[in-house]
Amino acid sequence: MARLTPASIEEAQALLAEGGRSVLFVGGGTAMPPGPATDVEISTSRLNRIVEYAPADQVVVVESGVTLAQLQGELTKNGQRLAIDPPQPEKATIGGIVAANSFGPLRTRYGPVRDLIIGVSVVRADGTRAKGGGKVVKTVAGFDLPKLMCGSYGTLAFIATATFRVHPLPEQTLSLRARGADPVELVRRIRAQQLEPAAMLALGEGGRWDVYFRFEGFGAGVRAQREKLRELEECDWPAPASGAVRIRFAALPTQAAEVAKALAPLRARIEWLPTLGAGWGSCDAVDPVALQGARRALMALGGWLVVPGDWGPPPASALEVNRSVKQQFDPANVLAPGRFIV
Amino acid sequence: MKQETPGATQAEHKEKARPLPQELIARFAAAIGEGYTFCKPEQLRTYESDGLASFRVTPGVVVLPSTTEEVVACVKIARQAGLPIVARGSGTGLSGGALPLPGCVLIGLSRMRKILEVDYDNAFMRVQPGVINLDVSKHIGPKGWYYAPDPSSQSVCSIGGNVAENSGGAHCLKYGFTVNHVLGLRMVLQDGRVVDLGGPVPDQPGYDLTGVVVGSEGLLGIVTEVVLRILRKPEATRTFFATFPSTTEAGNAVSAIIASGIVPAAIEMMDTLAIVAAKAATGVDWPEVGAALLMDVDGLAAECEHTSGNAIELARKAGALEIRVPRDAAERELMWKGRKSAFAAVGRIARNYLVQDGVIPRSQIARVLQEITALGQRYGLRVANVFHAGDGNLHPLVLFDGRDPDEERRAEEMSAEILRTCLRYGGSITGEHGVGADKAPFMAEMFTPQDLETMQLVRCAFDPTQGFNPGKVFPTPRLCGDKPGPYTPHPTELSGEAWRG
Repeated sequence: MARLTPASIEEAQALLAEGGRSVLFVGGGTAMPPGPATDVEISTSRLNRIVEYAPADQVVVVESGVTLAQLQGELTKNGQRLAIDPPQPEKATIGGIVAANSFGPLRTRYGPVRDLIIGVSVVRADGTRAKGGGKVVKTVAGFDLPKLMCGSYGTLAFIATATFRVHPLPEQTLSLRARGADPVELVRRIRAQQLEPAAMLALGEGGRWDVYFRFEGFGAGVRAQREKLRELEECDWPAPASGAVRIRFAALPTQAAEVAKALAPLRARIEWLPTLGAGWGSCDAVDPVALQGARRALMALGGWLVVPGDWGPPPASALEVNRSVKQQFDPANVLAPGRFIV
Repeated sequence: MKQETPGATQAEHKEKARPLPQELIARFAAAIGEGYTFCKPEQLRTYESDGLASFRVTPGVVVLPSTTEEVVACVKIARQAGLPIVARGSGTGLSGGALPLPGCVLIGLSRMRKILEVDYDNAFMRVQPGVINLDVSKHIGPKGWYYAPDPSSQSVCSIGGNVAENSGGAHCLKYGFTVNHVLGLRMVLQDGRVVDLGGPVPDQPGYDLTGVVVGSEGLLGIVTEVVLRILRKPEATRTFFATFPSTTEAGNAVSAIIASGIVPAAIEMMDTLAIVAAKAATGVDWPEVGAALLMDVDGLAAECEHTSGNAIELARKAGALEIRVPRDAAERELMWKGRKSAFAAVGRIARNYLVQDGVIPRSQIARVLQEITALGQRYGLRVANVFHAGDGNLHPLVLFDGRDPDEERRAEEMSAEILRTCLRYGGSITGEHGVGADKAPFMAEMFTPQDLETMQLVRCAFDPTQGFNPGKVFPTPRLCGDKPGPYTPHPTELSGEAWRG
């Protein structure tokens, strides 16, 4: 399979316009679901320019091959950041993060990448270049193509550039840990006390949860929150899991105990955002029987579970509409065929 | 969009269609009840326009279903008859999104106003689309929760309308817009299918169709249930009001506050005319200065003390004349009432006005306001500015006297020029009011034909018949590739009184 590395968006556009072959868009390869080989791969490795950065407007436009670490490095110079923290920032590209809807614990406060993206320019399967959204933090003109790209896994269009709202870097950061805690009770407690963690993460192994809080902002607010959780110990933020297999799942936040039980047979390290109900598991290998059992248990709770290459049964109600969207954007089914639910 | 003050007369953009056949009306009545099917001219008049009151079109029939099943029935009947469908919430939209088409089926969702479920532990609520925005927060307020998006019309506008328009409000600077607070939707598609998109469990595998349907202005289907994210109220809110010699100093204060790392919950600007109008309408005792800022910070009490203190200091350095901190909740509320009623208040100082809704990069506020002032001089018209300064969402109100046709024409031209100015600065033609009928022509100035065609792929995926709200948002329709089934044109369409696409 040929890997092509266009040096400009125009070159990428020309490659797609040639048509007649299946294409896989490749970024840093940190979240690529496996699937059938395509005729060509188009890598974004040379599309690595920060196109426009207006610190006073807190808006940045980047090409899709820019890595998250590269972008954060630029933003830090102006005391700002893109408020997302998916794993492997040195490798993960902006295009890949958007395509895979990658996230980390900061999602607790700032939401997924779809809540921070404000514009996108794409190249469609036939080489048509188009944009949606804008370069201002607020616009409702036209359909929201930026959000449509989030989590689309390269099956609708090539993401050429993305525009984001960025946030100021916090003045102070403090992490606290509650060992052997009930995430549901802790979520209730921070709400009752009106605390506002930037990140809250529950780590589960063997049916037991350790819950981490990260408080960020101006010193006064961080200190006040630390005081209200006086009995918790200060700690370093845990390193993200690095197992070969990354499982993603979600359920309702109050189902933490059931989730722990359902996932126990996988013998994975579980990371769970207890305010949101989204999580991931990490292990070196996954037993297919245990996996199907865990999936059934989560689906019985109203949740879902996917592993790379296995999306599980699609959401019955919306499947047809998903397919129609794919059909409209990529009628010849040449973009990442067989790698997504559609 | 154009506003009339009460009693004013003005040429209306009015279109009429022949009545629909009785047999068709009877089918609607059989499906949802005679009492909720309206076809008499005096009944239809109520629904001729939305908040964009100068555009009026008479629908063919108005139906008020009360359940998803009844919406399905109405959609099927309309589709069989080949009639376009326009959905309507409370009708407060400012861009004509709920403006009927001649002879269309107007589906009003105002009877679907049940709160179906509240789950505090999982921080969501399930509501029907007719529920009023403010009623959501009122319902959960006693337990210390609220729903963040707060359009100025929140005491009357509906959640369904908010979903259609992706409504914002003063506090979306920190908290985001409707789309950031909608977790899932149930909607009826053109062929009567009911689909659930998203839900309280995050990231269901598949495309983020919830994110696309929010803000699609009624072109993709009819939403009949909405899952909302709800938030615990912040521990504290600190508000201050600062006056400045002109909008330039006020704009600089906004830039300095944002640059300092503070994320205000809201930061609103008013110029002299807006201040005068707000005073006349609400009795706030504001001085008639060049500009004023009204700012909220919220969150931890300790942090609010720190950030509001810093923000006040920065406002002083930028040239503030006076800083007022409300003594109590009642005074704070009055300040916000002054701001939120500013649009209507302008009616007290002018016979008619056009509200514009452009967005510019925040750092360009002072320059763009100067350009708007220059435009006002060139067109010989007064402009009041009252807007969301934190996110650069301008709301210039162009004042005119509708009895003078030339003045009205100049106001419309100037309003269009303001939008073009926003685009020249890299901004947007609408920050929160939507494109609707009003701004569809401007879409081609902001987007290329390829951009618009790509957006319409989404429309084709949801509604290949393009029977939902045709003529809105997109200046030119796109032919959808596939054929959804036999289509028979309605007589009113053949006679040119109704249209599709």
